[in-house]
Order: sequence, then structure tokens, then C-alpha cells
Amino acid sequence: MGSEKKVNMEVRLGPLTLRNPVLTCSGTYGFGEEYAFYCPVDKLGGITLKGLTPEPRLGNPPPRLAETPAGLLNSVGLENPGLEEFCQSYLPKVRQLPTTVIANIAGFSLQDFEIMAGAFQAGCGVHALEINISCPNVKQGGMHFGTHPDSAEEVIALVKAKTNLPVIAKLSPNVTDIVEIAKAVQRGGADIISLINTVLGMKIDVEKQKPALANLVGGLSGPAIRPVAVRMVWQVAQAVNLPIIGMGGILTWEDAVEFMLAGAKAVSIGTGNFINPLAPLEILEGLEEYCQRHGYASVEEIVGLALPKKEGQGS
Amino acid sequence: MLDKAIIVAHGYLGDEKYQIRRLVLKTEIAHQAQPGQFVHLQVAGGIDPLLRRPLSIADIDKERQEFTLLYRLKGHGTQVLAKTKVGESLNLMGPLGRGFSLPAQGELVLVAGGIGVFPLLPLAKEALEHKLKVSLYWGGAEAGFFASAGLEYWQKTGIPIRFSTMDGSMGSKGDVFELLQKDFAQNKFAPANPPAVAVCGPHPMMEKVSDYFLRLGARVEVSLEERMACAVGACLGCVCTLKDESTGKLRRGKVCQEGPVFKGEEVLWDYGQ
Repeated sequence: MGSEKKVNMEVRLGPLTLRNPVLTCSGTYGFGEEYAFYCPVDKLGGITLKGLTPEPRLGNPPPRLAETPAGLLNSVGLENPGLEEFCQSYLPKVRQLPTTVIANIAGFSLQDFEIMAGAFQAGCGVHALEINISCPNVKQGGMHFGTHPDSAEEVIALVKAKTNLPVIAKLSPNVTDIVEIAKAVQRGGADIISLINTVLGMKIDVEKQKPALANLVGGLSGPAIRPVAVRMVWQVAQAVNLPIIGMGGILTWEDAVEFMLAGAKAVSIGTGNFINPLAPLEILEGLEEYCQRHGYASVEEIVGLALPKKEGQGS
Repeated sequence: MLDKAIIVAHGYLGDEKYQIRRLVLKTEIAHQAQPGQFVHLQVAGGIDPLLRRPLSIADIDKERQEFTLLYRLKGHGTQVLAKTKVGESLNLMGPLGRGFSLPAQGELVLVAGGIGVFPLLPLAKEALEHKLKVSLYWGGAEAGFFASAGLEYWQKTGIPIRFSTMDGSMGSKGDVFELLQKDFAQNKFAPANPPAVAVCGPHPMMEKVSDYFLRLGARVEVSLEERMACAVGACLGCVCTLKDESTGKLRRGKVCQEGPVFKGEEVLWDYGQ
């Protein structure tokens, strides 16, 4: 590859520029230190922190995990140290991470989102805010905000008014029409859309004759949901004018390319880290080689190539 | 670390009916392994099964750079793992987690329920190297089980072993907790010099044994098991509930990273609710 031209891997997602398009998903990468031994974060486009709420949460009781064909069900239930403890004990370390850091915030009321958004401003140590309006594992709130267009718009507008950081709306796939929600968060002022969160699912232990998860239901991730995620990215890319971070079962560079061809400007690795801690690095290398092989000077050139051509567009 | 380990032995440990297999791997990881730690093993290259499997380290041979994993064929993951052969390699992460700690001096009592005995052998060996007095209490379903779960390796250590079986076919009839209660009621240890106790087995058994020895003033460590995904403390899938000793406040502990070995007094036994 030595003789071939270097590919520009930088991607611009509205107000957020990433050194490359490979991120890690919230809830799969802790607060950025856990995988550092295996995968140096300075190589990544960025990382997304575990979801945070104003108050500390113990989350759901175990068992929280159940394996399914090519998939993983989880019901962690937003366990997190809470805003105050995060700022005291974690943020000083997060600030030192040599990569773009996205904080993920969740809440159970509009007020929660207001508090969380207000706590994160430019210069605070994180570079963007991902708004979790799509968590399936808490009884109230969370996904509720992401399954109704009006409330999705309201939450995003509120968050936008409280923070000067780029705002990423994380969408739930557990909706009738993802496009409707995507348009709503665009109206609310979101800078970026990330999708998909986990797909609501369930597993029953046939010997115990009861649900495998203590929380009864959970969110499905892993390759099993990838086709759903690709389809939704493809739909949303055609319906809104916002940059998209695509996620859902990405294990290899081929998977990442698939999302980018469907219209994602960046991709995020979640469950894939559990299978192969080197997955983000290998995906990054594979993406670059793919671009070289196809003669692209910039990785951004492949974004949306599989989308239908708009009228009036050349070739 | 992440490594490819070569399989140097793989087969049934004893009578096939107990479905316990022995897997010996050659890897540098053996050098760093501590008693009570585990490795996170990719049992197949593809997506079936999707997740790695955590297996506790059952024996460590630092000179030969080998360690042993013992596992019972139970679900799909172990069925796939059982098909791997000598000479093939397995991708693994490890050694992971916080293992057992050795008391500075005195006596170490090991208590095992069934295959919970597996992570205790490296601890016994290390304790013997440190000239500690070690004994094992081991409960099983029936006499035939022990020989198929590594009894010969334990016999080589020369430590005293007390058995209990549910059907009374070997040792004391009943569970291992009943046996302990009988023994320690008769031979109370000196309060000034309580033993250290390491327990591994089904959670209800560990709860009883841990509470019993804590009441007697012993230092107790328990090795927990929970379903895992990342095994590095990132996903929060494998939690247990811990209580802060001074404040009594509850918090979640990560079995993969803070454990799998915890102090008996900090674990809140809220499993199987």
C-alpha cells in the first residue's frame, strides 16, 4: 500500500469534526479507560461515554445479559454514578483522553434533560452530547421521549437551549416510523443523529420457564440487528439534512462500509468490542484500505453512495 | 492481554457422564496468572456463539507457560468449545479480574461446592508454597463425581480433604455446609488466630458458608459467577450488589473487574430473586 495515496480519514459532522469515522457506542466502552489496554483511544475517531443521569442509579438487578443468535440482550437499566460523582471522579480523567469524547445523557423528565445539558458546555472536557431518548431498559422516560415525535422535538430543543456543545439525538428503532422521529429531532435543532439504539427483545429460559433477564425484557444488539439498522440509516439519510452516526451490530470493516454507503458519515462500534477488543482498530484499517482500493481521496466520498440519486444530480 | 493460545490437551477429565472437560493452553498469559483470575475465551471464530466465555484458571504451570481450564459441558458455548482440538489455537483475553489473596500466616480453609473447586487449586498450591496450613471441604452429588472433577490433582497436594455427598456415597451425607458446621462446632479455632476461608460454589451455598465463618471471626473470600459480555468492566453486564462496610450503602460491583473474588462481608446475596 506504500505507493498509494493516503486517504483523508477526517469526517465533518456539522459542528463536530472527527479525526476518523470510527467511534465506540455508549454503554459498551465505560468511561474510556476500560479498553485502553487493548485499544488505544488516540487511534479512534472518538468514544461515547456510558449514559449519565442527574442522580446515581443502581440499575437493574442481574441477570442483565442473555445471549441470542448473533445477538446480545441487555437490561443494565442506566446504572451510572450520577452527574455529581461523574464530574468529581471521572471527568478529570475523561478530560485527559486523547480523543473526541461524547457524553451520553439520559433522563426521566424534561427537567432531568435540562439539568444534564446545562452541566456540559464547551471546554468542560467532553466535545459533544448524545441525547439518549431511546433507552428501552427503564420503566418510564428514556424511550418514551424517543417514540413520540412531539416529545422528541421538545427534548432536543430544550437541550439545545441549555448547551453550546454539538447535540446528537440517539434514536430508538422501536418506533413505527423512524423517519418521523428523525424529522422531529431535526426540527428540535439536533446537529447530528445517531442510530440505532437496541431493539426491544426477550428471551425465555425453557427449563426455568421464565424470562432469562431479571428485567424480563431488554435491548437486543449485535449482528442480529444490523439489517434493521442499515435500513433505518438508509431511510433517515434520505429524509433529513443532518449527518448520521450509524450503529447496530458492526463487527468488521465491511459492516462499517455498508453503513457509510447507506448514508452514515461515521460509525460506532458497540457489542463488537466484546467479541474483539481490536475491532475498532481493524475496522479503521479496513475502511482506509477500502478507500485506497477504490481510489477515494477522502473517506467522506463513500457516504451515501448506495442511496437513490436525487433528481438533478449528476451521473 | 489478548493472545492466541495453543491447545496442548483437551478431553474429558474423567467419566464422561459428568461432562467435565480439561483444556490445557500454552500462552504467555500463564506467567501473569494469579489464583482466582479467569480468561475470556473466544470459543468460535464467527458469531455463533457471539460472546466470549469466561473460564476460571484451574491450574497454572509457569515454567511450561501453560494453564488449565476445567469446564462442564452445559450450554451451546461449551459444546462448541468442546469441538476444538489439540494443536489448534484459541483467542483469549486475560488474565482478568481480581483473584484470591493469601493470608500472611496461619490456616487457609477452602470450601467448594461441586465444580466450584476449579479455581481453588492454584490458591491451594500457592498457599502451600507460602507454608500455610491448607485444608479442603468439598461437596458433591455422589462419590463418582470427585474423580471426574480433578480429585487426583488435589491428592497430589497432600492437603487434608473432607468430602460430603448428597447421597452419602462418600464422606459425610448431606451438603458441605452441614459438614463444616459439624467439624467447626467440635474443633473451634482459636479466636486470636482465625483461619482465612476461600469459598466457591453455588451462590446459596456460598452465602451460608460465608455468613457462618464471618460470625466465627474468619476472613472470608468468595468467588462469584455471573454472565459476562466485555469482561473488562465496560458493559456493566455482570454486576453483583455490594454493601459498603462502613456506611452500609448499596452499590453494584463488577464481577469481571472488581471480582470475581470479593470479601464475604461486602456481598449482598440477592441472587435468584
